[in-house]
Amino acid sequence: MHRPPLRHVTALALGLVMGSVPMAARTAPILTRAQQAHQASFQPTRVAQARATLISQKSQLGLGSRDGFATLSAFTNDQGQAVVRLNQTYDGYRVWGTQAIAHVLPDGAVETLTGGLKAGIDLQAGPRLSGQQAIEAALRNLAPQGPMPDAPAVERVVFPASYLGGLATTMDPKTGRPVLDRKLTVHAKLAAPYVWAYEVRVSIHNAQDGAHELVYLIDGTTGNILRVNDLAQHLAAPTPVQGTGNGYYRGAVTLNTSQMADGTYALYDTTRGTLPNPNLQYFTPDGSGWSATGLQVWWEQHSPSGVSTWNSYLFQSNPANTWGDGQPWAPSWGLENGANGQTAGVDAMSAMTTTWDFYKNVFGRNGLDGQGTSVFAQVLSTGPVNIDDAWWSIGGQGVYLGAGSYPTNPSGRLSMTDLDIVAHELTHGVTSPSYAQAWVSGAGYEEAGLNEATSDFFAQMVKAYTTRPTGADSAIPNTGADWEEGAGVNRGTPIRWLDHPSKDQRSVDGWFDGIQYMDGHYSSGPLNRALYFLAQGSSSAQGDDHYSPFLPSGMTGIGNDSAARIWYKTVTENLLADGTGSITYADARAAAITSADSLYGAGSPEEAAVESAFAAANVGEAPGQAPRVLVQFANWRNGDYIETNHFTAYGNRQIFPMGETVFPRISVLNTADTSVTWSLGGPSMYNGADYSVEEGGVINADGSWTTPDRMSWHSITATSHADPNQLAEGRVFLINLDTDMDLEQDAVDMAGVAYSWYLSNALNPAHSVLEAPWVDDTDVSFFVDAMRSTWPVK
Amino acid sequence: MRFRTLSLLLAGLVLPLALACSGSSSSSSAVAPSPATSLSYSDPSGTGWRLVKDASSTGTRIVLDLVGPSGTKTRGVGFNLQASPKVKFGVFANGLPINDTGVYKLLSAAADPTEPVAIIGGVKTGNLLSVGIYQKDRVQPAQDSGSPLCQIAIVLDPAQGISAGDALQLQVVKAKATPEDIGAVSDDLWTLNKKMRMADITVATGSLSAN
Repeated sequence: MHRPPLRHVTALALGLVMGSVPMAARTAPILTRAQQAHQASFQPTRVAQARATLISQKSQLGLGSRDGFATLSAFTNDQGQAVVRLNQTYDGYRVWGTQAIAHVLPDGAVETLTGGLKAGIDLQAGPRLSGQQAIEAALRNLAPQGPMPDAPAVERVVFPASYLGGLATTMDPKTGRPVLDRKLTVHAKLAAPYVWAYEVRVSIHNAQDGAHELVYLIDGTTGNILRVNDLAQHLAAPTPVQGTGNGYYRGAVTLNTSQMADGTYALYDTTRGTLPNPNLQYFTPDGSGWSATGLQVWWEQHSPSGVSTWNSYLFQSNPANTWGDGQPWAPSWGLENGANGQTAGVDAMSAMTTTWDFYKNVFGRNGLDGQGTSVFAQVLSTGPVNIDDAWWSIGGQGVYLGAGSYPTNPSGRLSMTDLDIVAHELTHGVTSPSYAQAWVSGAGYEEAGLNEATSDFFAQMVKAYTTRPTGADSAIPNTGADWEEGAGVNRGTPIRWLDHPSKDQRSVDGWFDGIQYMDGHYSSGPLNRALYFLAQGSSSAQGDDHYSPFLPSGMTGIGNDSAARIWYKTVTENLLADGTGSITYADARAAAITSADSLYGAGSPEEAAVESAFAAANVGEAPGQAPRVLVQFANWRNGDYIETNHFTAYGNRQIFPMGETVFPRISVLNTADTSVTWSLGGPSMYNGADYSVEEGGVINADGSWTTPDRMSWHSITATSHADPNQLAEGRVFLINLDTDMDLEQDAVDMAGVAYSWYLSNALNPAHSVLEAPWVDDTDVSFFVDAMRSTWPVK
Repeated sequence: MRFRTLSLLLAGLVLPLALACSGSSSSSSAVAPSPATSLSYSDPSGTGWRLVKDASSTGTRIVLDLVGPSGTKTRGVGFNLQASPKVKFGVFANGLPINDTGVYKLLSAAADPTEPVAIIGGVKTGNLLSVGIYQKDRVQPAQDSGSPLCQIAIVLDPAQGISAGDALQLQVVKAKATPEDIGAVSDDLWTLNKKMRMADITVATGSLSAN
């Protein structure tokens, strides 16, 4: 899913338009708060300027008269620059998956990041289907079993064929075997590179369907599903007053609460948040003074046996404004609003306000989305979230925090309301403030690891921030972070170690080709480690927790504050977040260098530290370091039919027949010794996410692989002989060519595919090499691919 | 007929034996056979399915056309050809060991030039060539099989130690054609399922030898 134009952000995509100085390396000073406010007053003008600049660049960008730009979001950074994100439009409709970022500087110069735009769109007429028909198509696929109170939203868009989804597998609960996931697999065929489509957004939280925030892309002519994204990311004027809280994690704290119309108190902070929460605004004010504006904590109701009623309520009607008993959740189901349940609410509210203030005071950010939108937390959740998990809702702008299953489950967790958990989830609100500006979170994208690591890192910065000296609200102390995520909720054992991620036996310490197949919570390892090294440095002593084989000499950190400022600027200003999952570790490194240059100057020690920190996580090289051995499943398709018409992400994936002896492709660079050791499976098999991928077959002495007799995605890994620290995990899809069922896979079998072509009425399912109940050009192209790869003409 | 076949076989055996005797009479030691420098192919007789030599053949690359019985309409054909390990199969401009002669309509009626076409081939273990070419659009009519439907190529491989005079194995061990009637989508499912079948065919090969 990586898009080449973004790979070298600095070199390729940042271009000066109005000025003459190379902006990618131009340093700008941090302004005072008053100066920033002055510059922010020009923001509306600069937003228009950003748009006008991009429009003036249209011919350079290969765009035509029907292309345009619509502003997605804007803010003024602490250097006084207006940072504007824009979507490309066509005839006024959003081109899905496109985004540009423009920096408008105080002197009027404009920098643009345009690698995410699409040239050459040529569409006639409009969609044949209506938006309502698109919604119906999405709901037919979703087939919700439970209630869905929120109506789906629909938007007409232009959809690029290159973003078509691919083959998804899921576990068959009856057999325990991976099977094709009929709901999430996309087999649509697009005759043109762009089509009219509808984006249908469906939010569903109920016992039967679980919690999902699904984005369907529906072909506006055929009604076919083009792509499905699940964006769920886990983990009356009342009187503002201050109450006393007794948290389990935070201890005794002072809380911003509200005195309501009836004189009682609520965990409701009207001093933070200026826009209503999009989820809560559907609730009707009850005369108590409550509204959807302001931070607030809700609790999930359960039956006495602990079964969620799928109702939730604000912590309110407290006559004393003293909250919680400081004890862990008992659990006392049915009494969630009691003192013991309030304890979770106290921790959540305290963590929310601390995180909100961290972003406000350190970075000048107005709330999580930068617009002041109010946020809620729901504690003691078991319904829309796993009891031992936490989840940020983009659409709802809220965080759902699990009740914790301990001690009922002896290996379970405590209430998921500790500061690092809440700060982690709320940081998703910074990096993914809206559906249109979001990072992906699930397995399948390097971006998912960047997303999770960013939340882990800023959670640590929030921890450090709580130890700041009085009056030093705008800086992050260099101490106070323990670099452990989730140790509190996990009863002492961290869920993740940022400084040495592999200590959890699932995460990895260094980047490798194939890391995108890991769950984002484990592919976060390299970035977590890089950011730790950037802030705190690394060791040169082998065996030390902070030693990296990729940077044996070690490095000196630049401190929490500088590291956080570089990374904050990187994620808010220099990385696209367009929902396509296109951002890679290499992109992140390039963007971080751009940020360091902007803040501290090109050639600065901070820039060198960024390069060293990423190098220590096996991303790029440190200054003066020679290129390391690179093992990769290179994109060998070179824009073939499979890559261009069906599955963009399949450039480096291989297709082989099952039950045959094959030679997988691999590329080893920067060494004369290109030999590798093959092994079955790979790191992604052990992160609890990609369970639908199998490992199997036999690696033979000559390096060939006798594939198992099972149609499925398989994982294989190549490790370099020249540098055993360098490996690559790849994906192979095994298909059944034997459509005539004579127990021999050969070219004669192609006949079954051909005469069943585009029959979709399940007449001859055996003729699909994917065992799908239809046959189309996917089968044809997969058959040809597998045959050519397995039995080449020598 | 049976006797005639036998006599032809005997005649074929006598000549090589005579040549060997002639050579041994002039020397006390065996003479190493001379390396082959070219291939030759004699077409099979008959009017059924057969592999016949194409005019584009050269001395070191024999191009064979697959021709079927005239008047028989088909929608595609595939076969496995077992060849001597002493020869290689050649590739065509499309990168495949099979070449389209334009009889079968590989693109669908929509004529999308980017769509994948059902023509494929590869060489399996033991020098078994497996190739196939098929129409995939049920709307396109079946084609008469009496002209060259596809091509394969056999190439002399000097590295294999092939000697002049070597007779080289060439045998189609499996072949199937897609018949004209594969049923209409409107047929009842039972009928359609029965008709959607390949028909076994026998493909005759000529004799391949090295010179």
